[in-house]
Amino acid sequence: MTALCLDGLRSALEGVIASVLATCDAEGTPNVSMISQVHYAGPEEVALSYQFFNKTRRNIMETRRATVLVTDPETLAHYRLSLRYEDTRTDGPLFESMKAKLAGIASHHGVEDVFRLLGADVFRVEKIEVMAAPVSAPPPNRPSLLAATRRTCARLAACEELEDLFDELTGGLAEDFGIGWSMVLISEPGTRRLYTVATRGYPVTGVGAEVAPGEGVIGVAARENAPIRIGHMTRDYRYGAAISDVARRSGLFCDVPRLIPFPGLAAPRSQIALPITECGKVVGVLFAESDEINRFGYEEEDALALVAGQLGARMTLLRQEGMVEPAELPALAPATQGEVTVRYFEIDQSVFFDGDYLIKGVAGAILWKILREHDARGRTEFTTRELRLDPGLRLPAQSENLDARLILLRKRLDERCDCLKIEKAGRGRFRLLPGCRLILEEPDAISPPA
Amino acid sequence: MTEDPLMSPEPVNLPPDLRALARSGCGVAVGSCGPDGTPLLGLGGGCRIDAAGRVRVLLPRGPNLALLAALEGGAPIAVTFTATRDHSSFQTKAQVAQICRVCSDDLPEMDRQMALFQDGLVEIGYSRLQASGYCAHQRTDLVALEFFPEHVFIQTPGPGAGTELGV
Repeated sequence: MTALCLDGLRSALEGVIASVLATCDAEGTPNVSMISQVHYAGPEEVALSYQFFNKTRRNIMETRRATVLVTDPETLAHYRLSLRYEDTRTDGPLFESMKAKLAGIASHHGVEDVFRLLGADVFRVEKIEVMAAPVSAPPPNRPSLLAATRRTCARLAACEELEDLFDELTGGLAEDFGIGWSMVLISEPGTRRLYTVATRGYPVTGVGAEVAPGEGVIGVAARENAPIRIGHMTRDYRYGAAISDVARRSGLFCDVPRLIPFPGLAAPRSQIALPITECGKVVGVLFAESDEINRFGYEEEDALALVAGQLGARMTLLRQEGMVEPAELPALAPATQGEVTVRYFEIDQSVFFDGDYLIKGVAGAILWKILREHDARGRTEFTTRELRLDPGLRLPAQSENLDARLILLRKRLDERCDCLKIEKAGRGRFRLLPGCRLILEEPDAISPPA
Repeated sequence: MTEDPLMSPEPVNLPPDLRALARSGCGVAVGSCGPDGTPLLGLGGGCRIDAAGRVRVLLPRGPNLALLAALEGGAPIAVTFTATRDHSSFQTKAQVAQICRVCSDDLPEMDRQMALFQDGLVEIGYSRLQASGYCAHQRTDLVALEFFPEHVFIQTPGPGAGTELGV
């Protein structure tokens, strides 16, 4: 290894425009091509994406040598790295991480097959040369990521409720990391769709918005259980657009590329999505974005991964504590002023208030169950335990994320409905607060509700 | 440009669209091969193409001594031109290139192309300061490389990258 350390060049690996790679064949004929990713693989290793069997790939297999130029986007220093090919990985964390990033870009273009990563070619960095010295200094007074991580984790450790946990997380990102736009999404175990339970910084909260598995950077991060970071969305998308245009002309596919279906910044420049896991299983995604280019680098990814890890651990702990049998509380008398018709459709468990859509899925089924209980017996107090044990809701035995669904339901009611609220009534308990008479209808039911 | 043309068995005259791309303020990357087989790589700045099809690119000397030594010793050259805005790209290759002094005609054209290149960087989100820093060159340190392309390859990223033109 050289005096220059690859760890100090991680931001340069992000590049300014696509990095440039030179290889030679056995006869010494050079080949110069662009590459989409120079991935940090360790203090002395980088990985390049192997997507197509082209001249570059043939040369690498012949001579095992390559030279790549990278540019630090902040200091604009150019570096030349002499590489020696070591091996190609087709599985494992490095491969999955590169595949996830590629898939995240591809998902926005609807060209997942063309962007398929065949392998992560790992190279040992034999020499690092400074081709052009830095022309600008890194930004001064950059906040300490370690200190921000520590403060945010401390905020999470102090939370006793799941909802507070999500809000403290997005608050910590804003106040400690200076990340203005962030979201927490929770995974639906059955469908693996992700639904938004907390957001910060957006004009509308977007709570309840859904992302399908594999859709965009969020869906891909969840599906692959790997963080995805796009430091310069315009550049990455243009790189993707160049590939997809060629692929279309080649007849590889002809569908129209999809736009980002998820609400958020209209023109983000950087995005990062990190899986939230419990015992290694993905239960959600922490997502952040920025209108700055290269806002999230390797250092931010590492810091936010620690925060997401802490979030997952706290979620597990709070759920286990929530399993404890709660004390009974007396029911409050419901207020009655005016009336609203609430319709429930079993087919997708959707609930409408006077014809306006409120929610669907498991959260819709929960709402319908407690409204029927309230209608039949006048109950306003419920426990999460009874919901977990209700076979009608068909919640999975493990990782059902019931608390997250209740948060979603409560926030949707707060946003969309003046006549009904749900509030916490203690650990494992919640209270229904009707503000008018509720008329329940189930149009597609075989028999009318009781 | 140099009067003495570089001898090339079958030079390829670049089509108008690729000539336009090469002179549109795109990224210019120059490659060659060292005596021990090392791939050599440098960043150029600016390109001129004359009526005979001769390509002339400018390159800073200081950071590219090994590359220039290889070319001087008769190693082949590869030059890739890439548009900043959409990554459309092509690569030219020749068995031999000549190293020349920069002439008075080179610098205004280089300035024009560098200005366009910086505009492209600004368009994709960089500040004007960053763009000018990325393109910073010591003007006194520049040399010119001349060659007649013998092979031209479409290099736009994707499954068709590497397709040779006219084959």
